[in-house]
Amino acid sequence: MKSTQYSEKVLEHFRHPRNVGTLEGENVAVGRVGNPVCGDLMEMYIRVENDIIKDIKFKTFGCGSAIATSSMITELVKGKSLDDALKVTREDVANELEGLPPIKMHCSNLAADALHDAIKNYRNKNKPALAAPKTTEGKKVIAGEVEFENKGVFHKVDDTALFKDKRVIIPERGDKSIEIALELIKLTPRVILSTSSKDLSVNPELKTKLKQSDVKVLYESEILEIRGTTEVEKVLIHDLNEDEQYELFVDAVILLSEACRSKILS
Amino acid sequence: MKGIYFDYQSSKPVDPRVVEAMLSYFHDKFGNPSSLHQEGDQATEVLESCREDIAKFVNADKDEIIFTSGATESNNLALIGLALRNKNKGNHVIISEIEHISIHNIAKFLEKNGFEVSRLPVDQYGRISLEKLRSRMTDKTILVSIGYASNEIGTIQPVSEIGNLCREKGVVYHSDAVAAEGLLPIDVKKNNLDLLTLSSNDIYGPKGLGVLYMKKSLRLNTLMIGGGQERGLRSGTENIPAIAGMRKAVKILREEMDSEVKRFAQYRDKLIRGILERIPRSHLNGHPQYRLPNNAHFRFDGIEGESLLLSLKDQGISVSTGSACTSRTLEPSHTLIALGLLHEEAHGSLQLTCGRFNQPGEAEKVIEVLPGVVERLRKLSPLYKEENFI
Repeated sequence: MKSTQYSEKVLEHFRHPRNVGTLEGENVAVGRVGNPVCGDLMEMYIRVENDIIKDIKFKTFGCGSAIATSSMITELVKGKSLDDALKVTREDVANELEGLPPIKMHCSNLAADALHDAIKNYRNKNKPALAAPKTTEGKKVIAGEVEFENKGVFHKVDDTALFKDKRVIIPERGDKSIEIALELIKLTPRVILSTSSKDLSVNPELKTKLKQSDVKVLYESEILEIRGTTEVEKVLIHDLNEDEQYELFVDAVILLSEACRSKILS
Repeated sequence: MKGIYFDYQSSKPVDPRVVEAMLSYFHDKFGNPSSLHQEGDQATEVLESCREDIAKFVNADKDEIIFTSGATESNNLALIGLALRNKNKGNHVIISEIEHISIHNIAKFLEKNGFEVSRLPVDQYGRISLEKLRSRMTDKTILVSIGYASNEIGTIQPVSEIGNLCREKGVVYHSDAVAAEGLLPIDVKKNNLDLLTLSSNDIYGPKGLGVLYMKKSLRLNTLMIGGGQERGLRSGTENIPAIAGMRKAVKILREEMDSEVKRFAQYRDKLIRGILERIPRSHLNGHPQYRLPNNAHFRFDGIEGESLLLSLKDQGISVSTGSACTSRTLEPSHTLIALGLLHEEAHGSLQLTCGRFNQPGEAEKVIEVLPGVVERLRKLSPLYKEENFI
């Protein structure tokens, strides 16, 4: 079966998805699942009253079946108790949709996982939040940092012309790193700012400028390793949210010293 | 409803004039060139005159053309045939990161069989660097295989410079020219090519026929063993109807290539300008200048290619995407990843390739429909939050 050979019901849900959107308010919880490698990302919002799912909305980045399964599961569980909603399996979702191509079965799993995550988050709401993942970025030398010094790894930027038309990645280390990113984006279409946190804790004015620019911000990500043959070719990125690793092709890595950050923060 | 087809890179209709040229070879002139009677002689004559016309198409000599079953077979014969033949000279092969999947998988096969493969990175527009290529060559390097142009993003490689460098270093240069044939003039002599892959369907000929150009002085190990056709390099009875069809396809191009390529470039430029202008947060993939005249390749922040493709399908528009969700492996396109794109960016890609039978007004129709489709999918997407972009 072709990966895009969908049943009429899948196509119908893809064309007219039910319950698209987000929810806000007191009895609302959100569940998120994603897989940056296969590419799907789902957010499931539930509003719960007396242990019943009164309202449910979703947002999905993904293929046709990812959208259809998200839509289907919202219809299946709306009005159900949380316990009953937890019993909905991926087979239930796929069956309701009159089947999915075998290679797309995992999409129905994702929809169920996002729902389960939302229910878990609702039930945990009053429990203390978990500590943010510990990162070590900046405190250690990244593998390859020394080997590729001046062969794509830079600790400061004296001559911006060196970066013309290069793919540059800059781990966020205070305002200075953002200023450099904003400077370099004038010279090359590809500047990536990576940060291990969910948000940037920098000067708000710079943050606004960054959002307006074409600098790509990579949240919850850290560089584990710099790779290449004779010079930098790629970096190995750790996606902290999904706990996954992937390679990203770049030409230059700009690693400002940690001193810059502490000076700014103090 | 008559559909709009912007996926010429995946498959092309056979030109009706080609079909016409093939017909008599199915029943009336059915001979086998290996036979010694008059039907056989007639077939030999046709085969050799087609070989001559097809050779001229890339400025090769008649005895440098080997007919195969398609570009994949030509690539196999070129890489594996050459590597096996030269394994005593060296065991190192260089390809680029953005070769066609058949080259990548042949390279993996060679690795399993004792060869070493270097994969040359490309810049963010998809071009290789000559300095990097030079630095990767060792005294063990026997072959460089870098395509004429990318079948996905349409970036054209510095073929002539690669050819010169390989000549200087005494390394064999193979190029898969399938994406470029019929769109760029191809000259094997001027560009110092030793091996070149062509496909019949990619110039509006029938499927099931490919060509390997092999420079006279070169030797390959054969992979297809049988009755010794194609000078022993590729056994199997010659597919005369298809070969006659490809000859007609080449003849049509001789007359019409210049004018049709100008037309394609107009469609391409219209698509690129219109889409980048009308859709916020849209980007062009590939090279702004060194680009095939029929290729427009985009990505859109926050949306996924398969859902884009399905939505356009509903509107009768046929396109391609580099998204993982349409592939057998659920991996995104290796070419887009090699450009330095993140997985989610590679997923949001859209490839439009135009060709001989596109009509005026079709590019405009796509430009009219696409913004609404992108907007609808972005509303569904958790990755695209308006406030992030204000």
